[in-house]
Amino acid sequence: MDYVKKLISEFDCEYVEKYKKTWTKAKLNSKDDLLDVAKALKKEGLRSLSTVSPTDFVDAGIMEMNYFFEDLDTKRNLWLKVNLPREIEKCEIESLSIEFPSALWHEREAYSMFGVNFLNHPDLRDIIKSEDFHGVYPFRKDFDWLAHEKNVVQNMQTIVDSFKKEQEENEVDLDPDSSETILNWGPTHPASGPIRLRVHCDGEDVISVDPDIGYVWRALEHLVTQKDFIGSIVAVERLCFMDNINSMTGYAMAVEEIAGVEITPFASWMRVLLGETARISSHFMGLGMFFNNMGLHTLAMWNMDTREFFLDFLESYSGARIATAAIEPGGVRYGLDMAMFDELQKALDKFDSTVGEVEAVFVNNPTMKLRADKVGVLSADEVHKFGLSGIVARGSGVKTDIRIDEPYAAYGELDIEYITQEGGSAKDRFMMLFRDLKQSVDIIKKAKAHIEKAVASGEMNPTKDHMVKVPKKLPKGEAVSRVEWARGEVLMHLVTEEKAKTPYRLKLRAPSFNHTMMLNHLLAGQTLSDIPLIFGSLYICQGDLDR
Amino acid sequence: MSESLFQSFIFPGLLYVLVWTVGLFWFFRKFMAALHKRVGPSFNGKGGSYQTLFDLSKLLTKESITPDGVNPYLFSIMPLLAVIFAMLPSAFIPWMDGMVVVDSNYGLLALVVLIGIEPFLLFLTGFGSNNKYSFLGGVRILTQAISMETSFLLAALSPALLFSTMNLTAIVEQSSWFSFLVLIPGFIIYFIALLGLLEQPPFNIPDAEQEIVYGFYTEYSGTNYFLLQLAMFAEFMAVFAGAVTLFLGAYKGIFFDSYFFFFMKMMGIAIVMMTMRAATPRITLSQMLNFSWKYMVPIALVNIAWVLLAKSLWFMGA
Repeated sequence: MDYVKKLISEFDCEYVEKYKKTWTKAKLNSKDDLLDVAKALKKEGLRSLSTVSPTDFVDAGIMEMNYFFEDLDTKRNLWLKVNLPREIEKCEIESLSIEFPSALWHEREAYSMFGVNFLNHPDLRDIIKSEDFHGVYPFRKDFDWLAHEKNVVQNMQTIVDSFKKEQEENEVDLDPDSSETILNWGPTHPASGPIRLRVHCDGEDVISVDPDIGYVWRALEHLVTQKDFIGSIVAVERLCFMDNINSMTGYAMAVEEIAGVEITPFASWMRVLLGETARISSHFMGLGMFFNNMGLHTLAMWNMDTREFFLDFLESYSGARIATAAIEPGGVRYGLDMAMFDELQKALDKFDSTVGEVEAVFVNNPTMKLRADKVGVLSADEVHKFGLSGIVARGSGVKTDIRIDEPYAAYGELDIEYITQEGGSAKDRFMMLFRDLKQSVDIIKKAKAHIEKAVASGEMNPTKDHMVKVPKKLPKGEAVSRVEWARGEVLMHLVTEEKAKTPYRLKLRAPSFNHTMMLNHLLAGQTLSDIPLIFGSLYICQGDLDR
Repeated sequence: MSESLFQSFIFPGLLYVLVWTVGLFWFFRKFMAALHKRVGPSFNGKGGSYQTLFDLSKLLTKESITPDGVNPYLFSIMPLLAVIFAMLPSAFIPWMDGMVVVDSNYGLLALVVLIGIEPFLLFLTGFGSNNKYSFLGGVRILTQAISMETSFLLAALSPALLFSTMNLTAIVEQSSWFSFLVLIPGFIIYFIALLGLLEQPPFNIPDAEQEIVYGFYTEYSGTNYFLLQLAMFAEFMAVFAGAVTLFLGAYKGIFFDSYFFFFMKMMGIAIVMMTMRAATPRITLSQMLNFSWKYMVPIALVNIAWVLLAKSLWFMGA
């Protein structure tokens, strides 16, 4: 930690301070130092760039860049800021994509949404936003959404025209006598979900893959700025429907930090309990998808059967099975009727009675091992370079898990261990999912026992302790919160103005964005049969890919 | 005259194939549902038994779309040809004692050839679809058919070698419990090759929906799609019936001989096939090629040697 502070102090900084347990926060005076700082950080071991987040301050005429550097091994992180002028011509900064390959896409996103020009970026194309936004920067504060939406017919025509043009031109460069072709794998493909991969292939062999994303872009980061702090949770939970609780937890933590509110022990234990339930429901889907992509639907069906019981618990608690809106700043939304634990107990019993057959038929499936054992291999080094997280990182033997690295809610009081696999192949990621699932069930059992004990002894009051008042208006401030989401690290960067009723800026850093970046790297040289397998093993959700 | 009309339209002709298709389709759904821990169709009729009829009539009455740019002859004639060729083998099968439409001395050859033509017709449907995915599916089906038919033919030959005849009726008449035991390795090879020919997991490579969007089926809808489905189920029947005739003694039963036993044996094969379908993911094309040429074909050749040895030891007198 101190090394990072010392290192950054050698540069010309406005301030260098400690932030939370694992972070150093610093602001550079000059943007010209950025590349040197980045090189020094890389040498020091902070090899991952989590995300790049510009904040647009219209009145001050500043585009404030936020870089989040992480070291997955020693858990030393740096939050680096630097100011840019916000005029579109002068809003430019050196690209970090050579030192930190994960910047490749994150800088493209900042370029598309804010118009920040990254010098020396090898592939600075628009990403996520649809063609009608080309040339304009929708997340800039002076962008007029209403005026843009008025031309809806014209906008759709632009999208259709550009798609047709691309379809006409995409094979122009190919040799007509060869067997090379471009396949559109998606966005309405049986295994793709709303994403399109331009697959350049020669017969069955894949030459390169270029992902085209943004088919479910809802501009969540803009949407939250239109809502109050409570209303924003419905935007944040739609990061991905499969695990919505943990993303709300991350957002609520950021708001509580700015408001200076401490939540009750009961609420923090409930966050663990609900969060793990959501993680389980997501992992069940992920496991099923993995086999679905190899043409076997049985596991998905079996998992749905068990998953329903966990959703029953969410329903009994919040009234909703999928979009629960159950976590809000200040605690958890509802009090707990202890009878709801009966539903949870049913789910746990169901899990215990079925996990054995899943393990016997699917986890130890010889054909699955034949298919998945040697494809999609990610080395630990690549995990660091591309800032991968969650089961993908742990599948390659990197010990990273925000629940342990930077404990939040009540995870600090739990005894959790890192679960890792060594191989880094598609099979290892599948095994990670399964072992993660079992770990989550253990955590739920512990959390449930803890709450039951504390309620019985009168330490917690389940009907009154769930919520602490959070003021409607927040002071000026900013906060960074990280949670271990089902798919990996979600980092939220929240900025508020003085007497704010709405978030001024909320950056959602979602793991699938980094994982999708790996597709070309993993698929080039493989065959068409490996596309769905590797795609499924990366556990991508298009919801948090596009946001 | 009336007898041949009965044979071509009722049993073992068109109506029989239709009833089999509807029945097996429904059974597939119900059985798979149980393996998936689902319920399956349950609203229309007892146990959802009308559901398949409704589905098929829906497909038949839907608009049949021929996309722009396809070869209309290949696109629309091939499904029809596929159905006809899939139904033909049923004429050579001894369904009951003395009940065979064409009692040929080359029955086995006809069976193997008619089953072997089918993938080629499906390749042509993919070829005529003017769609990249369909074309890839067509190439895959041809690749798979060539690799799997070699061991299929070698396995199908083993009863002919054992009994020194290609007449299917004669093969059934000479079969016994002992010959069944001798032919078990041949039966296993035949069964695995059958999975490959019928594109069933783990060899459902040509119509892999997650990879190439159902391959040669991609552009088909309405009546043509119905015909292709019908062809697939008729092909199931042909291949199952072939297995039962060649290896399992056809209609021969425990206390009496009857079509009932023939049917139960076919269903037995169907159930094993479906259980594998519910528990085995798809393998890749290269793994299938490896498996076929490195293991299946050599083992099928060894099996031929074994059958010849068994014949010289125990069947010379017969």
